[in-house]
This record gives sequence, structure tokens and C-alpha cells, in this order.
Amino acid sequence: MDNIASHENWKSCFSEIGPGLLLFARQWTRSAADAEDIVQEAFVKFWRRNHQINNRALLYATVRSIALDFIRRDKRRVRREATAVAEADPTIEPQFEWADEGQSALAAAVSCLPHDQREVLVLKIWNELTFSEIAGALGISQNTAASRYRYALAHLKKSLQPQ
Amino acid sequence: MNDFSELEKDLKALRPAQPSPVLFERIEGAMAENSRARVSDAGPMANWFWRFTETPYRFGIGLAAAAAAVVLLIARISTDQTQNENTEIAQVSPPSQARPVQPSFSGRSGIDGSMSSNKFVSSGATQVVYNTRDEGLQFADGSQQPLRRLRYQTQQTWQWRNPSTGASLRVSYPSEEVVLIPVSGQ
Repeated sequence: MDNIASHENWKSCFSEIGPGLLLFARQWTRSAADAEDIVQEAFVKFWRRNHQINNRALLYATVRSIALDFIRRDKRRVRREATAVAEADPTIEPQFEWADEGQSALAAAVSCLPHDQREVLVLKIWNELTFSEIAGALGISQNTAASRYRYALAHLKKSLQPQ
Repeated sequence: MNDFSELEKDLKALRPAQPSPVLFERIEGAMAENSRARVSDAGPMANWFWRFTETPYRFGIGLAAAAAAVVLLIARISTDQTQNENTEIAQVSPPSQARPVQPSFSGRSGIDGSMSSNKFVSSGATQVVYNTRDEGLQFADGSQQPLRRLRYQTQQTWQWRNPSTGASLRVSYPSEEVVLIPVSGQ
């Protein structure tokens, strides 16, 4: 198993997982720039600690941990700047590249999912983690991960049905 | 899960936004910077040594060293004062009977035995933890086991007492300690 540090072509490795990592981080940030800061810090931290690149649960756990730290710092900053209360909500809809109205509606529906369901959905669909890996990344059981995923799909299906 | 297969297909067709090209450069730069820092690392001892090189800890060590220096300085001054006093007394006192028994070779008559009275003996030490902060989980170098990082802020007080003169000395200083506790998996 190759270590991420020994990857000469780490760029291609990051090209593969970068969009998913960024989407995962976007759940906690208001802007893509903040999400990129989180991904950078997590990726470099993961690489520095000589973890195996295929230990993806740990990589996503690192992103999550740094994102949660970021929220705490950001909340303090928001309070200091005395901005609107509505801005204190740390979550924001994931960013997608959609081609048509149908995809736009789907992206909007994903953004309306409860946070715990959306988290699992993002890891499963766009990062292709197994339930075992998701459980490891989020610190939950595999059954919980699987049921949250099913709830997310059911929630989406319901919200996309024509009224 | 067959009833969701169509929806899963639609979701997979939805592509997440690509990271900006600048992000690649930033990561590359950060990796290069860390590689340089890694070369100057102290090897396997670094895992343990980092605790002592952290600024708050260094601050605590600095304070402790300063406190120790103050103690030595005060003890020295106290010793000198006692010796001077004894010298003066010896000068004004009539020759004692003890003098022939313990003659002085240093020119300071009658004070050789008084050195023991200038000794300060440790009479107590206290450590009061006035703040504990849980700084969350982290991963140590080369370890896949998470560690909980706790920061303790304490006030340490050391006391000395001179049994013969009754003089006492107390030094207090703040200190900070970071402790890593391994966390087992759930």
C-alpha cells in the first residue's frame, strides 16, 4: 500500500478525490474558499502524518475535524463582527455543476436534507465510501450510516415528487 | 434498494464543483514547506519532545527557572546578611568559651557553625488546577489512534522555611501543561 507521501503524482490522486473532499467540506462553510482552506489543511495534515492514502475514513475524519474547528473559529468571528444572526448558520448547500433544471432541482433538494443525512449521502454518492468507511469517518455505526443513507434517499424522492 | 436505484443514478450524474487550480499550487507549496520542516525534525523523539517545545510549556519552564533564580538570589542575600550580623556580634562580644574549641581559620570568628542555621528546607508544595480545557481529538505523527488533547492551567507554589530563624520563603508561578490521552475506538 502506497503512502500518500511517496506519491510522485499526488496531483492525480488529489484530482480524483479533491472534488468529493471539497463537497464534503462545503457542508460546513459559507464559501468555496473556506472549504478549500479546510481541504488543504486536512490533505497536508494527512500527508504529513504518513497515513495510508487508502485509509479514506481517516482522511474524511480529518476533513470533518478541521471543518468543525473552523466552524468554532468562524462562529467566534461572526459574533465579533456582530453580523446578522442568520449568518451564524454554518451550513450551506453543496455546490454542484448541473446541466439542466432537473439537476438544479436535485441539487437544491440535496441541500435541504437534514445535516446528518446529507453528510452520509455526500460520502456515499460523491466520495464512494463504503458504509464501513462512512461509519469510521463519522464515528457512528454502520447500521446508522446505512439507515441515514436510506432516509436521505427517501427524503429526496419525496421532495422531488410533483405536488 | 431497487426503488432508489434511479435516484442514485441521477445523484451520481450530478457532479460536484471542481477545486480551483490555485488549490493544487497551495497544497504543493504547503507540502514542500512541510518537507523542509520534516528534514529538521528530531526523529522518533519528536513525538514526545513537541510537548516541551510548545510555547505555553516553554513559558512555564521559563517561569520556573526564573523562580529558581529568585530563590537562589534571596537565599544568598539572606546568608550574607546573617553572616555579616554574626561578624558584628562577634566583634562586640567578649571572647566566648567555645572559641578555643572551634577556632576560626577564615577570620570570621564564631560563625562557622552558623551556616547550618541559614539553610532553607522545603516545607510544602501545592499545585492548584484552575482551568482544564478539552481541545478535542487529534492524531499524533504516525499513529492512527486518536488522542484527546487536554490543556491544564495550574498555579504552583513552593515553600521553604528556615527552622532556626523561622524565616519562610514562598514562590508561586503559573504553568500550563498539555496532555494527550489515547482514545480507544467505539
